[in-house]
Amino acid sequence: MPMMNSLPEPVAALVGALGQLPGIGPRSAERLALHLVQSESGQVQQLADALLTARDRIQLCETCGALTEHQPCAFCTDDRRDAATVCVVETAVDVINVEKSGAFKGRYHVLGGKISPLNGVDPEDLRIAELEGRLTGFNEIILALGTDVEGDATSNYLAQRLGKQGVTVTRLAHGLPAGSGLEYADDLTLSRALEGRRELQ
Amino acid sequence: MHLGHLRLRDFRNFRRLDADFGPGFHVLLGRNAQGKTNLLEAVHLLATLRSFRGVGSAAMVRHGQPGWFVGGRVVATASHAIKLYWSKNERRLTLDDQPIRKLTDYLGTLRTVAFCTEDLQLIKGAGRGRRRFLDFLLTQTLPTYLPLLQNYTRAVRSRNALLKKRPIDEATLESFTHEMVKLGNEIMTRRRTLLPELGPRITAAHARIAPDGEELSVEYQPRVKEDFAAELHRMRDRERALGSTLLGPHRDELSLQLNHKPAADFASEGQKRTLAISLKLAQAEHLAATHGAPPILLIDDVMGELDAPRRQAFLPLLNQCTQGRGQVFMTCTEQNWPEELGEELQKWEVTDGELKR
Ligand SMILES: Nc1ncnc2c1ncn2[C@@H]1O[C@H](COP(=O)(O)OP(=O)(O)OP(=O)(O)O)[C@@H](O)[C@H]1O
Ligand SMILES: [Mg+2]
Ligand SMILES: [Zn+2]
Repeated sequence: MPMMNSLPEPVAALVGALGQLPGIGPRSAERLALHLVQSESGQVQQLADALLTARDRIQLCETCGALTEHQPCAFCTDDRRDAATVCVVETAVDVINVEKSGAFKGRYHVLGGKISPLNGVDPEDLRIAELEGRLTGFNEIILALGTDVEGDATSNYLAQRLGKQGVTVTRLAHGLPAGSGLEYADDLTLSRALEGRRELQ
Repeated sequence: MHLGHLRLRDFRNFRRLDADFGPGFHVLLGRNAQGKTNLLEAVHLLATLRSFRGVGSAAMVRHGQPGWFVGGRVVATASHAIKLYWSKNERRLTLDDQPIRKLTDYLGTLRTVAFCTEDLQLIKGAGRGRRRFLDFLLTQTLPTYLPLLQNYTRAVRSRNALLKKRPIDEATLESFTHEMVKLGNEIMTRRRTLLPELGPRITAAHARIAPDGEELSVEYQPRVKEDFAAELHRMRDRERALGSTLLGPHRDELSLQLNHKPAADFASEGQKRTLAISLKLAQAEHLAATHGAPPILLIDDVMGELDAPRRQAFLPLLNQCTQGRGQVFMTCTEQNWPEELGEELQKWEVTDGELKR
């Protein structure tokens, strides 16, 4: 912790809060905090308002789990999208990544994680029952989970469980670097992986 | 490949060290407990990110200090700067001042093979050490092997956690078993393809240093005989009773038989030492052959343990490694290094955490 003690208490508190954010180390947190407390107060007010408004207006879509302002979200209601295909991802951020690749124009379903015995995440902790509730109407389920052990095991699990219900389950083709999540895949890799997806028995 | 510069800060008994090394043969001379082994440990740490003494990072902090720094400049086809820092609250590894996110991006920047007294555990100790020996070589020669091994280990640990829960979630267990079998088969394939190359190197090295009439056989013994999934299924009940994964490459063995008997149980101390050195020689030769350039050799106290004929057997490798742009670091307690090593030695004096020409 650089020079924590020499900072006035409110600044130290701000450094502490900023340091909780992903990708912000102690040094960056301190730089941001010192910048903010020296900025014009109107500017800081704007930032605070933007933060609160964004947090207030954004929720998870009750149907698919994507980030949205309205219930249900645009992905779930847009009828130019293919309503017979659903892409299953781990997190709401993955929806944004797949969407950016431009290679997919169907529905989404966010699981909210992956099965992880070492972190105490069971199938019941994921939105699998919700997915089963949406199954009628889908011809194809594309599993777009990370390619680490837990992502792959979760895909195996879903393929078994959903396959029994007579729907085609496919999985992204290789091309995603093994052991990585979707967040590391660039748009081109992702769209290739989507094109080359293969069926799971 | 050689280490052109080494910088230490608060590493073991080195408060500060900045030293330039050329390619060739470096001998580190000094009385006991002066820091000779510590220096080799630092070089090996740069290459492997582990201590060859098998201890954690905290043990390497100079007593009373918050953390250590080990940095180096590696000169190969290009020159690279490595910086490694450890303290209780912070770890940093950079290559040319870029933080390293994945180990696979880093390993291979510097390649070393250490010969040290701890090597005896390769022969005496449990199978784990010999699996590590194989894994180290595969990691250093196949970029995909480390992630494979890490994923397999995670699959085994996940599976163990599932086997301990009651009631057992069969569908989830099945999903992880599938992954573990897939990854495990791949590991066994890699180990199996390594052996036809590595085995003969070990027996040849051994034949060079051991007295006549000692017959060594080296064999990879996977615990899985034919079909991982099917054999695992047969262990179903026992696995559930014990709550852990009982079959797979995490239980493989590299069997070393001397005159048809397990070396761990029947070989003499001297024979074991010879065997350990043979394994390491083979490792160095394998890396040299695979990469077209020898690794940096770190030889700690080993020459002192060998008689003249066995030292002779070391020479071809030492020569190979010091010729061209290679590099060897060897520690010696007295000024009686083997005559046969020639005049081109670069001598260093290690005294109480300081290094002098
Ligand atoms: N974390 C540490 N902090 C400070 N000193 C340490 C630390 N770890 C080891 N030492 C000291 O380093 C010295 C041993 O260094 P090293 O093992 O390199 O000796 P050596 O020169 O190889 O001796 P030998 O010839 O006996 O093998 C000892 O004096 C030991 O107390
Ligand atoms: Mg020593
Ligand atoms: Zn939605």
